[in-house]
Amino acid sequence: MQDAQPSGGCLEHLRRVVVRASDFLPTQGPIGVFVHHNTLHSLQHKVFEEAVVEGAHLFGAEPFLSEDAYQAERKRQRILDEDIDAVISREPDAEILPGRLTRHQLRRVMLTPGVRRVNGINISWHLEEGDWLRTFRRDLPANIRSSLRKDSPKALWNACLIYAKPQSAPAAGRPKRPRDAVLAEFGIDMDLLTHPPLIRLVGAYLDQGIACWPMPLREEGLLKAARKIMPQALTIFPARLGGVRAAFLKQQSCGMDAEEVVLDALKQLAVPADEWEEYIKEELLALRGWAGMVRMLENDVTLAPHDRVRCSIMEFLALRLTYTVAALKDIASDTAAWRTIRLPAPRFDPLTHIARMFDVAQLLGINSSSLKALSEDELARLDQEIVACDETERRRLLHLAYERRHERNFLLPLARHRAMPQIVRSSNRLIAQVIFCIDEREESIRRALEEVDPAIETVGAAGFFGVAINYASMDDADGVSLCPVVVKPSHAVREVAVEEHAHLHEQRQGLRRAWSRVARNSFISSRTLVRGWISTACLGFLSLFPLVLRVLTPLAYGRFIRRLNRAFLPEPKTEFTFMRDDAASRDATTGLMRGFTTQEQAQCVYDVLGPAGLHKGHARLVVILGHGSTSLNNPYESAYCCGACGGHTGAPNARLFALIANRPAVREALRAKGVVIPEDTWFLGGYHDTCNEDIHFFDLNLLPESHHGDLSRVHQSLEKARKLSAHERSRRFAAAGRDITPELGLRHVRERAEHIGEPRPEYGHCTNAVAFVGRREITKGLFMDRRAFLVSYDATKDPTNEALGRVLGAAIPVCGGINLEYYFSTVDVETYGSGTKLPHNITGLVGVMNGYQGDLRFGLPVQTVELHEPVRILFVVETTPKRLMSTVKASAELTELVCNKWIRIATMDPDDGRVEVYRDGVFEKLEGDEVPLPVSPSSMAWYRGKMENLALARIDPRAAA
Amino acid sequence: MSLQTLIPLLIATPGVLFLLLGVIWLLGGHVSERAMSRISKATHAFLAVVVVIIGWAMWRENMTSIQVSLGDWFTVAEYGFPLSLLIDRLSLPLVGLTVVLTGIVGSFSVRYLHRDPGFYRFFLMLHLFTFGALLVFTAGSLDMLVVGWETVGITSVLLIGFFQYRPEPVSNALRVFATYRLADLFLLSAVFLSHHWFGTASWVGIFSGDWPGGGYKFDGPAATVIAVLLAFAASGKASQGPFFGWLPRAMEGPTPASAVFYGAISVHAGAYLLLRAEPLIHHSVIASGLVIFIGLTTAFLGTLIHRTCADAKTSLAYAAQTQLGLIFAEIGFGWTTLAVIHLVSHAMLRTLQFLRAPSMLRDYHRVHAAAGGKLNPTGGCYESLLPFAVQLWLYRWALARGFYDAIVERWVIAPVQSLARWLAIFEPEFSHRSSETEPSAKAVETPVS
Repeated sequence: MQDAQPSGGCLEHLRRVVVRASDFLPTQGPIGVFVHHNTLHSLQHKVFEEAVVEGAHLFGAEPFLSEDAYQAERKRQRILDEDIDAVISREPDAEILPGRLTRHQLRRVMLTPGVRRVNGINISWHLEEGDWLRTFRRDLPANIRSSLRKDSPKALWNACLIYAKPQSAPAAGRPKRPRDAVLAEFGIDMDLLTHPPLIRLVGAYLDQGIACWPMPLREEGLLKAARKIMPQALTIFPARLGGVRAAFLKQQSCGMDAEEVVLDALKQLAVPADEWEEYIKEELLALRGWAGMVRMLENDVTLAPHDRVRCSIMEFLALRLTYTVAALKDIASDTAAWRTIRLPAPRFDPLTHIARMFDVAQLLGINSSSLKALSEDELARLDQEIVACDETERRRLLHLAYERRHERNFLLPLARHRAMPQIVRSSNRLIAQVIFCIDEREESIRRALEEVDPAIETVGAAGFFGVAINYASMDDADGVSLCPVVVKPSHAVREVAVEEHAHLHEQRQGLRRAWSRVARNSFISSRTLVRGWISTACLGFLSLFPLVLRVLTPLAYGRFIRRLNRAFLPEPKTEFTFMRDDAASRDATTGLMRGFTTQEQAQCVYDVLGPAGLHKGHARLVVILGHGSTSLNNPYESAYCCGACGGHTGAPNARLFALIANRPAVREALRAKGVVIPEDTWFLGGYHDTCNEDIHFFDLNLLPESHHGDLSRVHQSLEKARKLSAHERSRRFAAAGRDITPELGLRHVRERAEHIGEPRPEYGHCTNAVAFVGRREITKGLFMDRRAFLVSYDATKDPTNEALGRVLGAAIPVCGGINLEYYFSTVDVETYGSGTKLPHNITGLVGVMNGYQGDLRFGLPVQTVELHEPVRILFVVETTPKRLMSTVKASAELTELVCNKWIRIATMDPDDGRVEVYRDGVFEKLEGDEVPLPVSPSSMAWYRGKMENLALARIDPRAAA
Repeated sequence: MSLQTLIPLLIATPGVLFLLLGVIWLLGGHVSERAMSRISKATHAFLAVVVVIIGWAMWRENMTSIQVSLGDWFTVAEYGFPLSLLIDRLSLPLVGLTVVLTGIVGSFSVRYLHRDPGFYRFFLMLHLFTFGALLVFTAGSLDMLVVGWETVGITSVLLIGFFQYRPEPVSNALRVFATYRLADLFLLSAVFLSHHWFGTASWVGIFSGDWPGGGYKFDGPAATVIAVLLAFAASGKASQGPFFGWLPRAMEGPTPASAVFYGAISVHAGAYLLLRAEPLIHHSVIASGLVIFIGLTTAFLGTLIHRTCADAKTSLAYAAQTQLGLIFAEIGFGWTTLAVIHLVSHAMLRTLQFLRAPSMLRDYHRVHAAAGGKLNPTGGCYESLLPFAVQLWLYRWALARGFYDAIVERWVIAPVQSLARWLAIFEPEFSHRSSETEPSAKAVETPVS
C-alpha cells in the first residue's frame, strides 16, 4: 500500500476513504437557498444520545446544553425533581453500598441538588480561597445535615484523601495531524499559516460574481489552476510556505493529478493506509466550511447559484496537503517525524476526583467515620460510579428530564383538551376553509382566524401543496425547485403574461433590463478606479438619501420604493402554463415535463385533500395560502422561507393548486377517486408573508361573481387575524414594547422586515417543539404558542394508511430537519451554528465568514436561535401505535429517525383519545394528570405582557376573563 | 449662545457622554438599551442642530473661519502651548459629515447590536470616537489634532477586536494597532519638529490666510520635512502607500463599525490632515510629488486587488482604498475643493455600501434576474489588453494582496522578532517564557470533569 507507484487498489482505497471522510463535512449548500437538515446527519444511523456525544468528540462541540443551564431550568421549575427521578428510574440500576446506596440514589443526589462545579483549574482555589474546607454545603437536607453534624469538612476531606482511589492521569494523546505535533513541539499553529492562502484560493475559485475579475483557468479545476497561478516567477510566498512553489512545480512537471498528489503527500507524511480515513477526516474538518462547500458543489453542480465551477473534494484535499507538507518541511524538515511526537497531557489534577468524592459524601451524608468504615470493595465501586456519572452523563440525564417535562406539559393538557367538549360546534356548512402550510409559525394566525370567525376552518398541509414543480416567475431567468429537497420535480411551470398584456410584459422586461444595467454599472463603477472617480465624487452624495431614510424611516422608504415601482414598472396580468396533454413528453435538454396532465393534476389535488380530509365537506371558498418571508440585509433570508418548498416561497404552489383544483376536468377525475368537490366550491390561491404578515390573493379576476361575498368576509377575517398574529409575535420582541395594540404590532413587524439594520426580522422556527398530525378539531381552541407544526390528517378516512405514509414521509424529515438544526445550533452555536451574525461577511455569494479570511460558517446564527428551547421534536400522530409503526417501518429514513430517537413520537387514538408514547421500541400509555389546562377567554388575554414560552391553554370565549 | 461657546460644546458633548457612561459602567451601573438608544439619538440630534447653527451663523456673517481659544496648557516665557479650536470651510463639512454619519450608524446599531453582550461597549466606543473625530476636524493646532487622532485610533482598534472571545479579531486588531503606532511616529515627529523649527504647531501659526487658498509662513527644507512626515502619518491612517494592506484586517468588527470607521470617517481623517497641510505640501515639490505618488500607486494597486476580492467587505475595503488614493493625488495636485467634495461624497457612499454589505446576495440575484439571467462578464476590460502571462502574474499578485503580508512578515516582523530575541539575553528573568511553555497552555481546554 505504501508503494511509490500508486497501484490500482491503492487508488480505489483512497477514493473510498475520501468519500467516507467527507461524509462528516457539513452539508449546507450555498446560503442563497437555505435548507434545514439534521446537522449530525452523518451519525444518524446511531442512537441520538450516543451520536451527540460522538459528534461532540468528533467536532469539538457540546452535546447538550451546559449543566448550569439545566440547573437554572430546574430552579425555575422547568425541570421538576420528579422528571429527574423518572429519567433515572429508566436507567439500569446497581447496588453500590449494599443496603445503603444504589446507583439510582447516587445519581439522584448528583443531579438534584447537583454536584458543585469543580475541575483541575479551579480546585485549588476552592480549597484555599473558597469555603470548601470551612463549611459543608449549605443546600443539604436536614437529615443529611444531622448525620454530618459531628463531622468537620476538614476531617471529611482528609478521609477522602486517604480512602478515595486516585484516578490515573489521562494518557497523552497522539497528534491527529501535523498541526497538533508542530503546535506542541514548536509552538507554531500551522493552520494560521496554511488557511489564509487556502481560503483565498478556494474563495476566488468558487466565487459566483463578487470579484470583477474571475479567477483565470477555472475550467482546469482548482488544483491545476492553483498550480499555474501560484508558483510564477517573481512571486513571494508567505513565511514558511516557500516550499509550496517547488511542490507545485514538481507536481506540474510530473503531471500529477489530484489523487497522485494526495497519495504522495500521505507517503511523505508517513500515514499508514489503515489510518488514511482518520487522518483525511481530520484534515478536512479543520477547514470544514470550505471543504463542505466544495463537496456539496461537487455532488450537485446545480446548487451553484450562477457560475457552475467544477469542484472536487480530492483537489481541495490535494491543495491542502501540498500546503501542509510544505509548511511542515519548513518547520520540522522531517515530514514523517510528526507522528512520533507525544502531545502534552491534558492538565489533570488528581484532587479533582477527591473533591468530587468529598462533594458526593456530603450529599449522601457519609461522614468521615462512615467513610473509613467502607470496605475496599465498596470504596472502589463508589469511586467507579462517581466517575461514571461524569459531566456528560449528568447533562444527558438532565436533558432527558428537560424533554420529559416538555412532553408532559404538552401531552397532558392536550389529552385533557381532547376530552372536553368542542368549544364551537357548528353543524352548518363552513363559510370557508383556509389551507396553510404545516409550519409552526402559521399556528398563531390559524388560531386567530378561528377565534375571529368560528365559521372558518383552517387546515395544515405541507407548503408545496402536493405540486412539486420547477417554477420560474415572469421575472425570473431560471426555474427553481419548489418542493421538499428530497423530491426532484419533474414538471416545469412558468408564469407568463396573458396575451392581451404581452406588450406590457415587454415594456416591463425592457425597463427591468435597463434598470439592471444601471444597477450593475453603478455597483461596479462605485468601486473601480476610473469610473469610480467620477461616480464617487459626483454621485456619492445621492446615497445620503437612502442612507438616512432607510435607517430613520424604513417603512416610509419602503412605501416610497414600492410606489416608484408601481408608477414605472407595468404589472401585466399573468397566468400559469401548466397544461400538458401528452403523458410522456419531456423536454430533451432539461429533462422536465412542461406542466401536468389532467390525471396528474387530479392526483396532486387528491394528495392534499385526501389526508387533509376536508371531511366536513368543502366550503364555498377554499383559500390556499403559501408562505415565505421577506427581509432586508439578511443573508439568511431563505432560512425563513418555506422548508417544504426547499427554502423558497410557496406562493406559486398555492396559486397553481387553486388553478388546478378549479378545473372541471380535474374535479371529474377526482370524483372517480372518491373525492367529491361541490359545484359551488371555489379554490383561491394566496400568499402569507411570515415576516411582515402581508396576505394577498392570486387570480382574483377568475373568481365568480357569486363568491365575492364569501371572499370579502374571509378577507376581513384574515385582516383581523394577521393583526392579532403580528401582535402575538411582537410579545417576543423587546423592542416592540409592552401593551401595544394589534395595529402597532403589525406596524412593528413590518418595520422589522423593512429595516436594513435588523438582524432578527423574524424569529424563524425558533419556537418549534412539537408536531401534531391529526384532525384540527383536536387542537382547535388550544393555545400552542406557535410551537406546533400542525398537519391535517384524518385517520378515520385512511383505512389503508396510504395517506399517513405520504403525510409522514414529508412531515418527519422536514420538521425533524428543522428541529434538529435548531437543536444543534442552540447547544453549540459556535461549532454547529454560525455564531453571531454581526461580523458576517458574504463571500463568493455562496456563504458567510467572519472577518476577511475565515472558514465558511454554516448552521444558524445566535440571533435566530436565542429563544429556542432545544428539545427533540415531539410528534403526536392521531392513529394507533400499530398503524404508525407499520407506516414508519415501511421507510428506511423514517425508521432511522424514529427508532434512533432523533425525534420523539406518540400516538393519540383516533377513537378514544388515549395517548401512547414511544420509548425504546415500545409504546407506553401516558399516565398521570398533574398538568392543568388553564382556560382563557382569548389568546391575547393569555399571552399579554409575557415574553417567555407559555403553557398550553384552552381558549374559550365563554370563559370569564 | 455665541459661537465661541457652541464650538467647544459641540466637541465636548460626546466626550462628556463617554465619560459619564464610562463612569456608570465602572461603578457597576447599567443603562438599558432603550435608554442608551434615546441618549444617543438625542445627542446626535443636538449635535446636528449645533452644526447647523454654526454653519448658518458663519454663512450669515460671511465668516470664513472661527478661532476659539481655550487658553494655554502652559506658558514658559515667550513660548506658549495654546489650546485652540478652528472651524473654517474645511472643517465644517467634515464636522457635519461626522455628526450625520455617526448619528445614522448609531441609530442603525441600536437595532443591529440589540441583545449583543457588547452593546454598551460599542456605544461607549462610538461616543468616544465621535469626540475624537470632531476634535481632529476642529483642532486648531497639530497638538490638539494628535489628541483626537489617537482617540480615533484607539477606538478603531478596540472595535476591530470587538469580538474579543475569538482570537482572529484580537490579533488583527493588534496588527492594525501596530501599524497605527508606526504611522503615529511620523505625526509625533512632525509635531516636535514644527515646535522646534517654527516655534508653534497651530494652524494659524503655520499658515497664513484662510483655507482654501491660504499661504504658509515658513519655507525651506524644514517645511518640506514636516510636509513629508505629515504625508506618511496621513498614509497610515488612510491605509495608503507603505501602510496599504491593513484595511481588510479591520473587517473583523461588527458591520456598522466597519462602515463608520473604514468606510467613512477614520480613513478619511488622513485625507483631512493632508488637506489641512496642503499649503505646506504644495510649496514643496518633493512633498507634493510624494503625495501624488503614494496616492496614484495605492489607487492603482487597490483597484487591481479589489478586482479579485471574492468577499463583500474586503472588496469594499480595497475599493475605498482606491478612492482614497485618488483623493490623495487630488490633494497633491492642489485640487483641494475637488478633494473635499470627493471625500465627503465618497464617505457617504461607502457608509451605505458597508451597511448594506449583507444584502450583496439579494442585490446580485435581483440584478441577475432583471438582466434576464445573463450579466455581462466583468474582468474583460483592461485585463484582456495584456498578454495572458502578464494577466496571470497580475492576478497572482492581486490574489496575494500585493504580497503585502508576506513582505511585512518576512522582512519587518521576523527581523524585529529576532532582534527582540537577541535583546532578550539581557533580560533573562522576563523572557524565559518562550515557546516551550506556550503550547501546554493551549492543551488545557478539556479538564476531566
